[in-house]
Amino acid sequence: MMWKARSILVGIVLILITLGIVMLASTSAVQGQIRYDDPHYFLKHQLIWLALATLASVVVSRIDYSILRKLAVPLLIFSFVLLVLVLIPGVGHKVKGSSRWLKLGPLNFQPSELAKITTLIWLAGWMSHIRRKAQDFKKGLLIPLAGLGVTLILIFVEPDFGTTMLIAVVGMAIMFIGGTQIGYLFISALLGSICFIAAILESPERLRRIIAFLNPEKYAQNEAFQLLNAIKAFVIGGSKGVGLGQSMQKRFYLPEAHTDFIFAIIGEELGPIASMIVVALFLGFFICGLYISTHTSDLFARLLGMGITMIITFQAAINIGVVTGSLPTKGLALPFISFGGSSLVMTMVMVGILINISMRETQTLGNKKL
Amino acid sequence: MIDLGHRWRIWVIASIAITALSGLGVRLAFLHFGSSHDALRTRILKSRHSEEEILVGRGRILDRNGNILALDLPVKDIFADPKVIIDKGHLQFVVSHLARLLNLNGKILFDRLNRPGKRFVYVKRFVKNDLADEIARLQLTGIHFEDHTARHYPQGALMCHAIGFSNWEGVGSAGIEQKMNRYLKGRSGLRVSERDGRRRELYSRRTLEIKGQTGSDIYLTLDQNIQFMVEEALDRAMETHQPKGAWAIVQRVRTGEILAMVSRPCYDLNGFRNTSAEVRRNRSISYVYEPGSTFKAIVIASALNEGVARSDQLIDCEHGRWIYQRRPLRDFHPYGSLSVADVLKKSSNIGAAKIALSLGKRRLENYIRAFGFGKPNRLNLPGEEAGIFHRYSSWSAISSTRIAMGHEIAVTALQMLNAVCAIANDGFLMRPIVIEKVVDVHGRTVFDPDPEVIARPIRRDTAKEMRYLMHRITERGGTGTRACIDGYDVAGKTGTAQKPVPGGYSDTANIASFVGFAPVENPEIGIIVVVDEPQPLHTGGRVSAPVFKEIAEEVLRYLDVPPGEVKPYLQFVNYENRNTDQKNRAY
Repeated sequence: MMWKARSILVGIVLILITLGIVMLASTSAVQGQIRYDDPHYFLKHQLIWLALATLASVVVSRIDYSILRKLAVPLLIFSFVLLVLVLIPGVGHKVKGSSRWLKLGPLNFQPSELAKITTLIWLAGWMSHIRRKAQDFKKGLLIPLAGLGVTLILIFVEPDFGTTMLIAVVGMAIMFIGGTQIGYLFISALLGSICFIAAILESPERLRRIIAFLNPEKYAQNEAFQLLNAIKAFVIGGSKGVGLGQSMQKRFYLPEAHTDFIFAIIGEELGPIASMIVVALFLGFFICGLYISTHTSDLFARLLGMGITMIITFQAAINIGVVTGSLPTKGLALPFISFGGSSLVMTMVMVGILINISMRETQTLGNKKL
Repeated sequence: MIDLGHRWRIWVIASIAITALSGLGVRLAFLHFGSSHDALRTRILKSRHSEEEILVGRGRILDRNGNILALDLPVKDIFADPKVIIDKGHLQFVVSHLARLLNLNGKILFDRLNRPGKRFVYVKRFVKNDLADEIARLQLTGIHFEDHTARHYPQGALMCHAIGFSNWEGVGSAGIEQKMNRYLKGRSGLRVSERDGRRRELYSRRTLEIKGQTGSDIYLTLDQNIQFMVEEALDRAMETHQPKGAWAIVQRVRTGEILAMVSRPCYDLNGFRNTSAEVRRNRSISYVYEPGSTFKAIVIASALNEGVARSDQLIDCEHGRWIYQRRPLRDFHPYGSLSVADVLKKSSNIGAAKIALSLGKRRLENYIRAFGFGKPNRLNLPGEEAGIFHRYSSWSAISSTRIAMGHEIAVTALQMLNAVCAIANDGFLMRPIVIEKVVDVHGRTVFDPDPEVIARPIRRDTAKEMRYLMHRITERGGTGTRACIDGYDVAGKTGTAQKPVPGGYSDTANIASFVGFAPVENPEIGIIVVVDEPQPLHTGGRVSAPVFKEIAEEVLRYLDVPPGEVKPYLQFVNYENRNTDQKNRAY
């Protein structure tokens, strides 16, 4: 059964990536032409990243994941260093007021993408290390929360609100699965929510986004512009879709049509069949990941597998939620599909780990049977 | 090995995730299939829909020789994006440069651009291309250009009333520009397409494109050179006599073509925005005035044609004062008996009145109407007046006597000239025309009016006789001696009409006119000159006849008209005055 789950998972990923490349070709042509005088600019870059990502994924899937357990702390510290570097003016690359990128020659890299996976590895490692002591306040809550908190704060000050939220939710979910007392988690979730609300109130821009989300018509020309135009894309797509490449919303009605809002253009061009299939594929991805994680004998593998499954699926769900107007706007990409190099590479690395986990398990089970 | 203690926790998370994703699926279905979305869909599609008029150039206006009088020039509209300028803090800089180059008031421009919320403000429209290019080279923040065409009139004020102008939107608003707008404007094209989020039209989304057609060229019958001569002559008259206004028309006798049409005061067509309606008025076709003695020519021609008078028939001119129907009628110079020919030559009111009475009301009206009075000439120019001429049934007992001397009837200069040209043209009344032809952009003639006879009020022999009678006016003892020119014989009639004021006629304001044609034997051109309130007060013979002379002299030579001598046609009649009045002046 494990190989089946793994094959389905790989199949889903391949479909999503294929769809992503096709849709990127369609959506990014307009922006590419305007910004770089090359309609294929984004497509070319993404294909280079895809090659890198595939390579990374294959390599990672061949490396025994248990090494990660030993490397958890150095990896976490490494990602901390990168996250700090990003904040240093001159080193970090600022786009639209956020320092999220490190420039590595021709390529831009987002350390927060790396932090996602390193945090997961360290949390899974720690929680599997303490095992039954997870009930303990200090070991089960304070230490993992402290490690998680450093990452969150560093990402939060970039600022990257969406990624912070995502890592917070997934991190606490891992602690939850790892056995931390519900009461503790509940209180820290409560405290987190307070911080969350404070963060919203503190930043007028975030507050406006929330207000605009609740009252989009009034802010149609400003904060709710993207939101409304994303919804319009689905409406125009109707029951059939306008056809591949025929989207009008991507022509400057919907900014970020090739990144965070690419899903809206899928809905507009390819119709409900494609948009619902995408949701179904992520659901399938979640179920496969869940199957792999729950059918492993190693607690570390299980927590890590669950973490990876959750972080990819949740990110997709939040993105789709934003694009369909169900959640307030955040800057989260749609995994496998949106344009973005480091996101694609790190997502594929995570998929590689997940595959490796499933393969180890098959091997150990096979050995046992033998 | 496998720690199953917390398995339920995994299921909690799994169910949350699955529920959330399923919820998104439902949301998607709602967005795609929502029944209330049809209205929204229509609204979105409508907001993108674009129907654009493709503007085409306006046709040109040319004179009969192909000299360009009006054409479209490429210009640029300059507009600003105040938001960008202010955001970058360049306002002061931009304003100072623009004000200097465009010669605008810096303070006013500053106030106009100092509106941070605005995204679009015109700085100046219709800026010549080279000046716009100079500004473009400065690369000022937030200053943009848009190509446009502007109407340009290379001759400035020349022929201004006839040509007219087209307004900022390219719609003809006066003169030929207005009347022939239908031909000039061309046919604008249509482009149906869609706009992207930046409101730009998308080439790939065009569903319909109809090409426009540039407007047709209008060739006028007017001649730029003749027009210039006439304008010069009138300008000199304006200088000398300081009148309220003056106007003149030159018409080709045989065809009715208008060769020149001048009205004073005038204006530069390129600056029509700063003029008043009074200045823009084409007086030669829209100013209705009482013609005065010039009208005697019409009345006497009618009487001769009808046979109620002969040119050598003697009329008792009552020594300057005649009571008819208990109302006195006076002559400026008293005469005893005058022949009909001399009534015209000396311009006797009493003589003309008696001739009119002999014709009778009904015939008088018929003749006058046959000469084209009381109705407009359907000229291809806006603002043409019909004049004022009542039916004989509403005339009073003395109306005939007053009409005979050109009162109780009001005419336009064009009507008067056209009627006199009919006398010159063997009695054929031609339709005056200003359009020679209209040629479309492919070179096809789309409108080509032929000379048209609209009436024949008098016979050929009457017309011939009248030509000589009117020629005598310019001979010694006539009222129009100042109209004489060397080498050509001219014919004409003077007119000095007091202007009507409430309760009677003004003693201090008159309209002095002269209408005539030349050469007498074979008339080529008819000319009318009207001067409104010459200062000091003077007669048509003094004021307008010299202008006629100046014009006729130049125009006849310009047209290469062969000089001809008057044949001794009327020598057998003794026209010599029985009451010789040595003065040339007459009423």
